[in-house]
Amino acid sequence: MAELSYREAVARGIAQEMKRDELVVFLGEDVAAAGGVFKATEGLLDQFGPTRVRDTPISEQAILGAAMGAAMTGLRPIAEIMFSDFIAVCFDYIANEFPKSRYMTNGQVKCPLVVRTGNGGAARFGAQHSQSVENWAMMIPGLKVVAPSTPSDVIGLLAASVRDPDPVIFFEHKSLYATKGEVPDGEIVDRLGTARIIRPGKDATIIALALMVHRAREAAERLADEHGIDCEVIDVRSLVPLDMQTILKSVAKTGRLYTVEENPRLCGWGAEITSIVADEAFYDLDGPIVRITTPHIPLPAADNLEDLALPSADRIVAKIKTTLN
Amino acid sequence: MNVLMPQLGETVAEGTIGNWLKQVGDYVQAGEALVEIETDKATMEVEATQSGILSTIHVAEGESASVGAVIAVISKQGQAATAERNESANNIPERRVSGGGEDILMPQLGETVAEGTISKWFKSAGDKVTTGEPLFEVETDKATMEVEATSSGKLSEIFVKEGQTTAVGTRVARIGNGGSVSNAHQSPAVAVTRQVNLNLYQPASEPASGHLDPFNEVKTPVIHFGRAELSDGMKITPVARRLLQQNGLDALALGNFVRAQGANRISKKEVLAVLSGEIPLAKTGMAHLQAHPVQQERPAFLNVVPGPADTVMELNRYRKLTAERLAVCWQTIPHVYQAVEINFRSVEEVRDRYKTSFKDRHDISLTYLPFIIRATSIALQEFPQVNAKFDGEKLIVCKDINIGIAVDLDHKGLVVPVLHHADEMSVSGIARALHRLAQKARDEKLPPADFEGGTYTISNNGSFGTLFTTPIINAPQVAILSTDAIRKRPTVIRTDEGDKVVPELVGTIGQCFDHRAFDGAYSARFLNHLKEVVETRDWSGEFN
Amino acid sequence: MLQENERSEGLLTNDDIGLKTRLKLYRLQVEIRQAEQRAYDLFLQNLVKGTSHLSLGQEAIAAGVATAMEPGDLSFCTYRGHAHTLARGVPVEQVLGELMQRDNGLMRGKGGSMHLTSVDHGVMGSYAIIGAHLPIACGAAWRAQYTGSKDVSVCFFGDGTTNIGAFHEALNFAVIWKLPVLFMCENNLYMEYTPIEVVTAVEHPAADRAAAYGLESIIVDGNDADEVYRTVLKALDKARAGGGPSLIEAKTYRHSGHSRADPAKYRPEGELDKWLERDPIKIYRTRLLEFGVNEDTIKSIEDETASKIETATELCKASPPPPEDILTTDVYADGGWAWRN
Repeated sequence: MAELSYREAVARGIAQEMKRDELVVFLGEDVAAAGGVFKATEGLLDQFGPTRVRDTPISEQAILGAAMGAAMTGLRPIAEIMFSDFIAVCFDYIANEFPKSRYMTNGQVKCPLVVRTGNGGAARFGAQHSQSVENWAMMIPGLKVVAPSTPSDVIGLLAASVRDPDPVIFFEHKSLYATKGEVPDGEIVDRLGTARIIRPGKDATIIALALMVHRAREAAERLADEHGIDCEVIDVRSLVPLDMQTILKSVAKTGRLYTVEENPRLCGWGAEITSIVADEAFYDLDGPIVRITTPHIPLPAADNLEDLALPSADRIVAKIKTTLN
Repeated sequence: MNVLMPQLGETVAEGTIGNWLKQVGDYVQAGEALVEIETDKATMEVEATQSGILSTIHVAEGESASVGAVIAVISKQGQAATAERNESANNIPERRVSGGGEDILMPQLGETVAEGTISKWFKSAGDKVTTGEPLFEVETDKATMEVEATSSGKLSEIFVKEGQTTAVGTRVARIGNGGSVSNAHQSPAVAVTRQVNLNLYQPASEPASGHLDPFNEVKTPVIHFGRAELSDGMKITPVARRLLQQNGLDALALGNFVRAQGANRISKKEVLAVLSGEIPLAKTGMAHLQAHPVQQERPAFLNVVPGPADTVMELNRYRKLTAERLAVCWQTIPHVYQAVEINFRSVEEVRDRYKTSFKDRHDISLTYLPFIIRATSIALQEFPQVNAKFDGEKLIVCKDINIGIAVDLDHKGLVVPVLHHADEMSVSGIARALHRLAQKARDEKLPPADFEGGTYTISNNGSFGTLFTTPIINAPQVAILSTDAIRKRPTVIRTDEGDKVVPELVGTIGQCFDHRAFDGAYSARFLNHLKEVVETRDWSGEFN
Repeated sequence: MLQENERSEGLLTNDDIGLKTRLKLYRLQVEIRQAEQRAYDLFLQNLVKGTSHLSLGQEAIAAGVATAMEPGDLSFCTYRGHAHTLARGVPVEQVLGELMQRDNGLMRGKGGSMHLTSVDHGVMGSYAIIGAHLPIACGAAWRAQYTGSKDVSVCFFGDGTTNIGAFHEALNFAVIWKLPVLFMCENNLYMEYTPIEVVTAVEHPAADRAAAYGLESIIVDGNDADEVYRTVLKALDKARAGGGPSLIEAKTYRHSGHSRADPAKYRPEGELDKWLERDPIKIYRTRLLEFGVNEDTIKSIEDETASKIETATELCKASPPPPEDILTTDVYADGGWAWRN
């Protein structure tokens, strides 16, 4: 067991996979020599050399296009898009090229690659460097979408993503890079499509992702201590494939569902899950499904304004308390 | 068990016995009205909360007693078995431990159908089952239907066996890995079960597998557990609705209780409280649900001992289900029979003209019945009280004309599928719809919707060659038509040369009606109008 | 044949291309021409569905490049990719079958005309988003470089592509990493419906951009299969030897409109006729005769191809449409589509 920061875990995860398989290569802006703008890929260049760990120009389309060409023809590339907001710049590859090629070619073309990207806010980077955009990837048929919340999940899910034969968009949370967690020794390989119950409970189910998982857990503790409300908190971890079974089972137990989503309101990842639960688990519901999200606005730069926007533990506690009865 | 003077109101301290509804020595069923109590504000009926013999009355009619005083005693002699069942029924069985897999539930069987009997299992425990495969057959008093598997896997356990009856929504089997560790072998063999089905959902723990359908990625629930709002406006949450129905609880009664507590919604908490015994059933006015009805004593002259050469035939499943219903209808409805003779010459003329092309076009024989049904639907529009339902107090005149047609199943029994909006169909349309319904009925493929909503019934006995028939009214409808053999009969007609006897195509059409709903004059006028329609309508107009 | 041999000896000693290769070049161009014409006819009969973009008039480029390529080399082309797919040896019936939405089609009807792909033949996709495949070709070349493989990735695109962002990113990227990739621009003078000169800052849309990326400006007559062949061979050799990428601009002209829907009325009068005189197949046929190849040999190539197209057409007509159960297959590597459990 060791205590690792989330960013150290990124480097360790990449290293674990690159060590295991020579075909795993890594490219991105400032990832090699500089060790990444978030220092998440330090040491990799030294460990694996300049043919396997490569710095690119500021060319998001070239980065993803090259990753795809390499993946199609035999390599297992990991590509970094520095800030997840930038996937808009190279969105053609994420929306049209990676996910559709296998289908359109009747299974001939494969695309086993991972795009890692720094997602989310609370880091005061302003509107174009802070948005949570995992929902942009979730809605595209043919992709897989992952968002870990802890260092050990980073390693385990990154390993699973690299080993997955389909294109995976891996959303790391910028504000979690500094957080620490226990990480077991040795090789860590998790499974995509599995959610985790991080706090069992019986009065309501809260599902959350990445940074929001921690806030949801904090809120759940406070709800239990201060208001006698016992919530079950689920870290969804993988949006596609989606572990609906764990969520449905939890809702069957508690009868109430809350989502905590960092993305702006409309078409956030929780909207889809809400719709599935309202349909399939209708007769398990004891009250309305409530989504707790960032308002539908671009994010501001100022500390106090951004803190107001993103769901906080306070806001989660208040919402659940007033709507649960 | 002591019967106590109940709570009578906030400021009321005592009540007066108005009327004992049962006498000493009478058998009393739980939920049955026992006594009328008067206060200066109101009179209320008190129900027995347990079954037994009313052994002692302590407070006579006209006498008063304080709230909480013992006014009578119901003894449980000879009811030990029932009492035991009561007790176990009031305990909540252990929560099921989850395995993987999915529960198979008794599906929705029809609007007013609360339970079904499994007549046949097509699979045994241990068999492999695939989605869409027929799993079992279930019977109600209206129909038989096949239930298909909605998922694939191994049928790990069967909880409700052939011949057993269970409520809609309860678990009858399980498909999936592992079984559940529970007292599952005690299958709920009776209609009302106290088993708390808290975890309807037993999901698999494995990630995506091949049994998902891309056009039905989300499994919308198949069973519906009632409306969100009761007739008195009380709202019920979805999970509460499910638990109420699965456990055979009385939503209205609980609603009243909940309202009295100051709440405006029945939620899971309240239902669970009832199920766990935290709130006693009696308090919620559901005392009548507590035990199973006990057999009434049979009069001695009905005890039949078969002789050595006699053959004992069990009633087939149709007759078993309809027997009691028929008896009740016959006993409670004052039936009156009236008939008219109808001349079918003009019908025959048109039928003859079109029957060949009709057969060619639709591969259906054109009989008299569609003409009679059409005429009936026209006549019902003129005499709407015949197209009505009677609830014992009020006549509910129905807007839609949905005519049920009794279909004989090869002398094994009768089913009555319904032609909805018969007034909107032509003879041709009726003939075709009838054929379709009859075919489905014989193949036992009629869905519940085809049995529901009937407002009038026709019993067609023409093919049996009878003169007339007095059929039993299909309560809560108020009348039923019988059509009998149509054949050449000597008929008197008036000519210029005076009266002559000629052979004419004539049939007797009779109606049994509920004399509480209307009188003979109204019924007779209806029948005469029906006759007029059959004899004088331009039937060729139905075929253009 | 005797006559041919006699003459061909002379040909071979004096010629870098040789008779065999020339006959192949001719056969490929003829096959492309006839197949595209057949596709057009079938479209008029409503047997070819949807949209398709024909290469009539541009055959020399696909034929020339494909002939210069090794079997192990990879090609990436655009939605106007029937020619490049056929030129690399994909059977005609598989291409026509895909256009006709039949089960025998190259992708069983799931991709359509714009996405012809045959990994077995090194045809690594036809791409409908303009410019998308240029960086992808770079990635395939990177893989070759990384693994030490000697294959080259060839990327076909039109003049219009030279103005999109991915073109510039890909060129820069390929140069700085010195990737074994060939960027082949087919300048047919029109970006969809607009003359390329109206929308491009420089005269030669590809060749005049080469210098911006430190590349040599190479322009070739795209209607002369021999010229294309020679030029491309040099570029492929360079890439294979580790010399990095090349950008070639081949000048050509398309006989029909941009796509089905386009009657090409935007062309100035006389332009088409002028180019028809420079029809690549006409040019090549004449050249073969000049080289002393027998008329019969030439005719038999044409007839064999015609018969091949005929057989392919009948095969496709007899093939059923794709079965419904493949609607949701191959979204993911496990063959399925499931996004939840």
